Amino acid sequence: MSATDTRRDTGPADTAAPDTVDELPRRRRSHPVVRVLRSSLAGRIAFPIVCLLVWLLAIRIVTSIWPFAVDVLPTPTQVFSFMWDELTGETLAPRNVYETFGISLRRLGIGMAIAMAIGTVIGLGMGLSKRVNAFFNDWVVAILAMPNLAWALFCSLAFGFGDVGPIVTVVLTGIPFVIINVREGVRNAPTDLYDMARAFGVSRADTIRHVLLPSLMPFMFAAARYAFALGWKGLVVAEVFGGEDGAGWTIKFWYDAHRAYGVIGYALLFVVFALLFEKFLFDRLSGYFFRWRPEVNAADVVEQRFDAPGVATATATADSGNGTHATTTGPKPERGAGGDETRRSHDG
Amino acid sequence: MATAVASPPTSAPPRTSEEERVRAARRRDRINAVAWRLAGYAFFLGLWEFASGRLMDERLLPGPVDVLRTFGELWASGKVPGAFADTLTRIGIGFAIAFVVGAAIGILMQNRLLNGFFRDAVTIGVTTPGLIWALITAIIFGNRPWGPLIAIVLTTFALISVNVAEGIKALPKDLIDMAKSFGVGVVRRNRQIVIPHLAPYIFTGVRFGFSIAWKVTVLTEVFSSSSGIGFEMRTASQLFRLPEFLTWILAFYVFALLLEKVVLEVIERRFFAWRDTIKS
Repeated sequence: MSATDTRRDTGPADTAAPDTVDELPRRRRSHPVVRVLRSSLAGRIAFPIVCLLVWLLAIRIVTSIWPFAVDVLPTPTQVFSFMWDELTGETLAPRNVYETFGISLRRLGIGMAIAMAIGTVIGLGMGLSKRVNAFFNDWVVAILAMPNLAWALFCSLAFGFGDVGPIVTVVLTGIPFVIINVREGVRNAPTDLYDMARAFGVSRADTIRHVLLPSLMPFMFAAARYAFALGWKGLVVAEVFGGEDGAGWTIKFWYDAHRAYGVIGYALLFVVFALLFEKFLFDRLSGYFFRWRPEVNAADVVEQRFDAPGVATATATADSGNGTHATTTGPKPERGAGGDETRRSHDG
Repeated sequence: MATAVASPPTSAPPRTSEEERVRAARRRDRINAVAWRLAGYAFFLGLWEFASGRLMDERLLPGPVDVLRTFGELWASGKVPGAFADTLTRIGIGFAIAFVVGAAIGILMQNRLLNGFFRDAVTIGVTTPGLIWALITAIIFGNRPWGPLIAIVLTTFALISVNVAEGIKALPKDLIDMAKSFGVGVVRRNRQIVIPHLAPYIFTGVRFGFSIAWKVTVLTEVFSSSSGIGFEMRTASQLFRLPEFLTWILAFYVFALLLEKVVLEVIERRFFAWRDTIKS
């Protein structure tokens, strides 16, 4: 998301502004200071400041009406000093933040590995055979639409406290994305390249290594990205109900202790953690995996195909050519009509 | 298709036979697909039924038959419609607010300054798990009705504003310019060009948003509510009644899927009936 975002940032953001609707032909060149104040960077900087102000104001107003609300409305200083304590390793919780996130990451990693392994096999089968597809399709959709709360609560009740429940939740939330992505990847495999490989007598192993894998790669990557984002959300819920440690358990710890600053501080740590992973790990990895493909950012292309907003809009956005909304609509790509579209074009 | 075009028109009988063969093959394919799909249902339901009581304790994994029976009992007890109604009103109010807020932000984001201002808000709204909002609103508002509503708004507004913003960005400028130069009034221009163009984006936002909204609603009800599906789920899980728990969540899941996939889709198809004529 970061790459496309910043790229779009440099472009003229107000080309299609509603100003065009309310006939306003061209803004006159304004003073440079005014232009800086109007720029999107200024807005970006203003956002946290405004948030802080609103926060302080809300506390002031609410505590003047209900004096006892001080308990549940922490001040920003409380929250940030809590976060600082956490980051320096000083905490009242049983484990510090690094151990906690390490435990959660380990579970997430195990769950994702299982989901990728099973999902790839099923996805390959579904892409290659119509029968296998008919066999699994409805159940994949059903699992996809199930709220992670249901898996989390169920796994915590069925498997008890410990590692198994959260890991099973990660597998169940992540696997439909892997299956759907791999299936689309197989369906979009370049048949002409296979034909050519056969015509030139390329060995089977080489075909798999140089044709099938590279063509599946972007799809697998998109799958991993979604499985990570959604698996993380599922894992946290599962740990709240059925963990003895880990990130979800710790936020529940602060919740049960009725420390609002702890809950909000930990929530901010969650946001930071997710953003770090998205921006650094996945953008780096996608740069590394697709270095052989210089001209397109493959992950964007694939993701756009999956969660383009609708059949009608998929074509419209293809023209504007940015994958931003595709990545931002990320959490729920399942019925992205873009997927339906590719499916239909495949069948037809 | 290709053979039909290639063959001369005089050879009518073989072509019909070929067409028939193609049709027969297609019919066979369809029957095959249906059969395999049914096999899938049988396999998974059978696996579930088999696993309960054999692979896992029956109290830990009640089978589909158990769940159906429990649903019958719950329905007879009369708790179901009330819980559904509570949750649905919550979703309805929260989602309506989220839609208004999200659309307003999507429109405001066309300004460069406000775009920068709201961009991080939208990113945070999209990436933050609903659980976090549920916990924060629960700890701040207790079980006042505002908590779940605010949680719904915070988790769903971003999807709608993203879609609205994308829609506005992709407005057909040339059409609007042409309408302007031919002296079409503002009202008519918006009515005939802008709104039909934005509608699919808005519908997508609504569908995505709804699919998230109902999940978040149930989640917040688990923490901070004394009525609704989430509350019933929490009660059942605290009493360790897994059949009841599974029944509540599965019943609401089926209901929400019905709303999402059938009702919204029918409305959407109605709304875009004019599009098909263009396509064909």
